[in-house]
Amino acid sequence: MAKDLPKENDTQPNIPKIFLIVLAVYLLLTVGFYFLAGDQLLYRVSRGDLEMRPADAAAVELSRDVTAEQVFSAKIQRLQSVSVRWGAYYRANSGTVTIELLRTDDMSVLMSGSFDVSPIVEGSVLTVCSDTPIEDVYGLPLILRLSSDCEPGSAVTPLIDSQAEEDGFSLSINGEPSPGMLCFAAEGTDYIWTGLHYWLFVGLLGALLAAFMLIIWLRYRSGRRSFVVNSLIAVKKYRFLIRQLVGRDFKTKYKRSVLGVFWSFLNPLLMMLVQYFVFSTIFRNDIPHFASYLIIGTVMFNFFSESCGMTLTSILGNSNLITKVYMPKYIYPLTRTMSSMVNLAISLVPMLIVCLASGVHFQKSAVLALFFFACVVIFSLGLGMLLATSMVFFRDTQFLWNVLSMMWMYATPIFYPESILPDNLKFVLTVNPLYHFLKNARSCLLDGLSPEPIVYIQCLLIALAMLAVGAAVFYRKQDKFVLYM
Amino acid sequence: MESMIVVDDVTMRFHMNTDKILSLKEFVTRKIRGNIRYEDFTALDHVSFRVERGETLGLIGRNGAGKSTMLKLISGILKPTEGRVTTRGSVVPMLELGSGFDNDLTGRENIFLNGAILGYSEEFLKEKYDDIVAFSELGQFIDVPIRNYSSGMLARLAFSVASMVQPEILIVDEILSVGDAAFQEKSRARMTELMGGGTTVLFVSHSLDQIREMCGRVVWLEQGRIKMIGPADEVCGAYDV
Repeated sequence: MAKDLPKENDTQPNIPKIFLIVLAVYLLLTVGFYFLAGDQLLYRVSRGDLEMRPADAAAVELSRDVTAEQVFSAKIQRLQSVSVRWGAYYRANSGTVTIELLRTDDMSVLMSGSFDVSPIVEGSVLTVCSDTPIEDVYGLPLILRLSSDCEPGSAVTPLIDSQAEEDGFSLSINGEPSPGMLCFAAEGTDYIWTGLHYWLFVGLLGALLAAFMLIIWLRYRSGRRSFVVNSLIAVKKYRFLIRQLVGRDFKTKYKRSVLGVFWSFLNPLLMMLVQYFVFSTIFRNDIPHFASYLIIGTVMFNFFSESCGMTLTSILGNSNLITKVYMPKYIYPLTRTMSSMVNLAISLVPMLIVCLASGVHFQKSAVLALFFFACVVIFSLGLGMLLATSMVFFRDTQFLWNVLSMMWMYATPIFYPESILPDNLKFVLTVNPLYHFLKNARSCLLDGLSPEPIVYIQCLLIALAMLAVGAAVFYRKQDKFVLYM
Repeated sequence: MESMIVVDDVTMRFHMNTDKILSLKEFVTRKIRGNIRYEDFTALDHVSFRVERGETLGLIGRNGAGKSTMLKLISGILKPTEGRVTTRGSVVPMLELGSGFDNDLTGRENIFLNGAILGYSEEFLKEKYDDIVAFSELGQFIDVPIRNYSSGMLARLAFSVASMVQPEILIVDEILSVGDAAFQEKSRARMTELMGGGTTVLFVSHSLDQIREMCGRVVWLEQGRIKMIGPADEVCGAYDV
C-alpha cells in the first residue's frame, strides 16, 4: 500500500534538454528584440542636434532680391531635417519662401522646400525634411539658404538671435556678413554602436552561453555537481511545492469575497479613476493620454508595494511551517512575489484596455514594456528578501517600510509629470530605480519608442544588483531565522 | 551496512539573551549601553551516534533533555552550532501533523498543499489521492473548506496525508493515534506498518513499552548529553529505575 518516495534519479533534470530550451529561448528573445526594438536599436536622437535659439530680432525682410545664408556645422551622423523660425511683421503676406540646405564644398543642394507664406504668423516654424537621412555631412560646414519671391511689403522675415556667436557659424545677408545667428534647428540621428553590431553581440553571447552550458554538462557527466545543476535539481524538486503555495495564496486571497478574482482586475481601474479625477480636475496637468499614463504607473507601483509588503512578512508569517518542516527558505519570499506576479498579470489587462480606450496606438515596441515589468519583478524580489530578513530580527521593519513605501510613491512620477520637479530635486528621480523602469515602460507603451539598447542593460543590472544584495543577505542569515520566530 | 543518519559531534546552543530584542530601537539603545547579554543555553552537547539502514532507533529522556532539538536537527529545520548531521535519502518528519493546512481551502486542496510541503511529488499525490481520502474516512466532506471540520476530522486528514509514504527515513515524535477509537486503532496499525516496513526510523516516545516493542537500539539523552546508548532492553531497564 505504501510506496517509496521518488528516488534521487527521478528528480534528475534532463540537462541537455533544458540547455537546448535555454538556447532556443535565447535565440527567440534576441531575434524578437531585434524586430520589436526596430529603428531604436540602430539609431538614437543625435547628441549633436542643434536646438532652436530664442528669437530677439528680425533678420531682414526676405523679399525677392534678398538671400539670407547661415553657415553652420552639426555633429549629426544622419541629418534629417532643418527648421527655421519666422516673423510676419504682424501683417498678411503672400508669395513663397524657399529653404535650401547646401554643402559648402560642391554647393550641391541637400534638401530644399518651398512654402506659401500666407499662413505664416509670428513665431511660425517651417521644417524641411530629407526623404533619406543625409549621412556624409557630419561636422561639415553647411549653408542654410533662405530666399523668396515675395514683393517687398508683403514678405516675411526669418528671426535671429542677435547676440549669438559661435565658431564656424556665420550669417550673411545678400553676401554681406551680419551679426547674430538665424533661429534654426537641425535634427537627425546617430548610429548606436552596439545596435550596429547587434548580431555580433548576440552571436558572441550565445557562443559564451553554449560553451558555459557545455562545460556544465561535461562536469555533470563526470559526476561533479555545480551550482547550476544543483539549482536545476532544486527547481525540478520544488516546482510542485511552489505551484501549490502560489495557488494557495491566490485562492485564499479572494476566497470569501463576492467578486473574487475580479478584484485584481477592478482594483487598478478604480485607483486610476480616483487619481484621474483628482489630478485632472483639481490639479490640472497637460500630460497626453493622462489616463494611460496614470494606470501604467499605478499598476507598476501597486505591484511593487504589494509584492514587497507581502514578501516582508513571508518568513514570519510562515513561522508555523518553518519551525516544523524543512524546505529551502527562499521558497517563502519567492512564492509571495510570484503570487503578486499573478496579480500583476491580471492587472495588465485593465491597463491595456485603458490605453486602447484613451486612444493610444500601440506600436510593436509595446511588447518590450514587459521587459521593464520583469525588471520590477526581479527588483521587488530582491528588496523583498532583504525586508523579510530584516523583519525577522527587527519587527520595526514593517512600520518603517510603510513610511518608506509612501515616500517611494511620491518619489516616483506616477500621477505627476516628471517636469514639475524643480532642478534641485531631479536627483530623486535619477537615483530611483522605479522611475527608470516606469519611464521606459511608458515610453514603450505610450510613445511607441523603444529606449536605447544601453537602457535595457542598465535596468536589468539595477534589478539584478538588488536581487544579488537581497539574496546574499537572506542566504547569510537564513539559518538563524528559526531561532527568532 | 550504510548509515542513514550520522550525527557527528553535534552541539546546539541557543542564545537566550535575557529577552529577545525584536525592535531596532531596543537593539541600538542596548548596544550603546553595552547591555546585550547572551546566556547560552546548550540544548545538545557533543552528541554523536549513527542510525543504520532499516534500523529503528528509540530516543528517550526527560522533558528538556534535547529530544525535540535532535529531531529538528535531523529533519533539517535547525542547523547545528557545531558538528554535522548527515542524512541519506528522503526524510519525512511526523512531528506535528497538518503543518501548512489552510483553513480556507477544501480538504482536497489541502491534501495537495500539505503533500507538497512534506515533499511528495505531484504524480505520487495524484496516484495516492483516493487512498488518502479513503483512509481519512472523510467522504463527501473532502470538498468542504477545512475551517468547517471538527478537530477529529482535521487530525484524520493530516494523519492520512502524512502516513501515505514509505520514506527512507521516518522521524516520529510519539506514535500518533488520532480520532475515535476505531480510527485510533487503524492509525496505530498504520504506524506500526510504516515503522516495520524496512524504513529507517527515529522514534521518540515516553512509553517505554512501545520503545521496547519497536526499537532495536535506544539513545538516552539527559541534559543534552548521551547518558546511555545500547540495546533497547538494557537502556530502558536503566532508565526505568
